[in-house]
Amino acid sequence: MNNVAHQAPSAALTAIAQTKARKDRLDRWRIYAMRLAFFASLIGLWHALVWLEVWDEMIFPSLPQVTETLWLGMSDQSLPAAIAISMQRLLIGYGLALCIGIPLGLLLGRVRWLNETVGMLAMGLQALPSICWLPLAVLWFGLGESAMIFVVVMGALMALTLATRDGVKNMPPLYMRAAHVLGASGWRLYVHVMLPATLPAVLTGAKLGWSFAWRSLMAAELLLVGVGLGSLLERGRELHDMSLVVAVMVVIMFVGLMTDRWLFSRLEQRFVHRRWGTSA
Amino acid sequence: MPKVEINGVSQVFWSQSGAVQALAETSLSIDEGEFVCIVGPSGCGKSTLLNLVAGLAKPDTGHVIANGKPVTGPGPDRVVMFQESGLFPWLNVLQNVMFGLKMAGVPEPERRERAEKLLHMVHLSRFTQAWVHELSGGMKQRVALARALAPNPDILLMDEPFAALDAQTRDMLHDELEDLWASTRKTIIFVTHNVREAVRLGTRVIVMTARPGRVKSIYDIDLPRPRHIEDVGLVKIAATIRDDLRGEVLQATHEEGID
Ligand SMILES: Nc1ncnc2c1ncn2[C@@H]1O[C@H](COP(=O)(O)OP(=O)(O)OP(=O)(O)O)[C@@H](O)[C@H]1O
Ligand SMILES: [Mg+2]
Repeated sequence: MNNVAHQAPSAALTAIAQTKARKDRLDRWRIYAMRLAFFASLIGLWHALVWLEVWDEMIFPSLPQVTETLWLGMSDQSLPAAIAISMQRLLIGYGLALCIGIPLGLLLGRVRWLNETVGMLAMGLQALPSICWLPLAVLWFGLGESAMIFVVVMGALMALTLATRDGVKNMPPLYMRAAHVLGASGWRLYVHVMLPATLPAVLTGAKLGWSFAWRSLMAAELLLVGVGLGSLLERGRELHDMSLVVAVMVVIMFVGLMTDRWLFSRLEQRFVHRRWGTSA
Repeated sequence: MPKVEINGVSQVFWSQSGAVQALAETSLSIDEGEFVCIVGPSGCGKSTLLNLVAGLAKPDTGHVIANGKPVTGPGPDRVVMFQESGLFPWLNVLQNVMFGLKMAGVPEPERRERAEKLLHMVHLSRFTQAWVHELSGGMKQRVALARALAPNPDILLMDEPFAALDAQTRDMLHDELEDLWASTRKTIIFVTHNVREAVRLGTRVIVMTARPGRVKSIYDIDLPRPRHIEDVGLVKIAATIRDDLRGEVLQATHEEGID
């Protein structure tokens, strides 16, 4: 059989393809420039508001103040230490939520009676801000790490479980039929078909779970004294040090943005968009 | 002993509009190496029948025997090729073809080798690393064919596999399928609504009645091979079968209130 695709493209075609690639690169730079301009004007606006003295310096810190606080926090190690301890709680709690939520979601999507019972409970629990667990968690685990980690788990778990379950429920039945016919059964169906087929939904749930985990952790750290970014915020409030408050907020946003760009976006690009042909 | 024995199977579905009998008690016996094509009006239960043979559903009455054993579920001796390819988007072309072999526990180097051989047979050697969404409709069906053949089933069940393809691609795939069948002597049950396609491929053409479907008539096709879809003899037989079918199609559309 003759198939045009079997022949290498001609020089002219290669040139056209290269032009397209060049245009893509140019577009990417344009986006970088746009982003830079946007954030630069945001900072400009901030400066302008400070310069015009719209609010008192005490309640609206300037960029240099915040930068100085960030710098001081970095050099006396208080900020890295707080980031490290918060991250540690977050990773343990979120990791646990992943390990429980994804298998549970797959089961809920597949086993009807489980979904009618446990699924309903998960729905109810999702409506509950996880910080509501703190009083009980403190009673159960004492004033410490475990209580905070518990709150983080409860924050991320429901979003993850329910997103995974809905992914299974929305999976085209044809995949399951094809898998059955090709000899997949039992745990292999979960590992080789349901999990990869629902990966787009699972990743959406993982992103949502991550942001819920952050929220829960910050709430818990604000309420329980100790070390951590939330506690640092609380200290800023007590000392009326608004530049510390803003500095911590900037750090939290930065970490959030970085995890999205370096982790979730990459995973999505690699395991969803490239394979499903959806756009990035 | 027949390769596939369908004994009085029937199936009822329950839906919002009430009970629907998808398949009336149907019996059919298929010998090893036969290429049986099933035609019938839309909704007469062709897919239902194929699913029962595949073991994807259980009949409400009767039973299916394949390779001398009653069918209780899907098995590696019977692989289905679906109308929409049903390829897995999270796997690339090669991994899709290797899937059945992986499930069967075939070790990696061997399953890769077998998958590559099959992809070569369907002329897709250059696309082993492509993702499913990067393929055209015809290429998808060729990959689906390779994937269905990989576990080396001796019974191949095909549910309108080429219905969504253009005539040229379909002709090409007919040739490939005929070659494959001639060289491997697999038993093939092929569902289509295209009568000419049925006569082009089959050793026997089964016409089913309107819903609830059962076997209406059976035509033995003795035309020499290789056949071509525009052969005069073939077209003539197809015309006879189409007349036979027309009454059923009219009844089917009448029942659905289309006319
Ligand atoms: N899961 C189901 N639930 C309810 N009714 C169903 C189900 N599957 C099939 N049916 C009904 O059973 C009848 C036969 O369906 P089937 O898919 O076997 O038809 P078909 O002959 O393959 O039609 P087509 O040529 O259009 O593919 C149809 O009337 C359909 O509405
Ligand atoms: Mg059908």
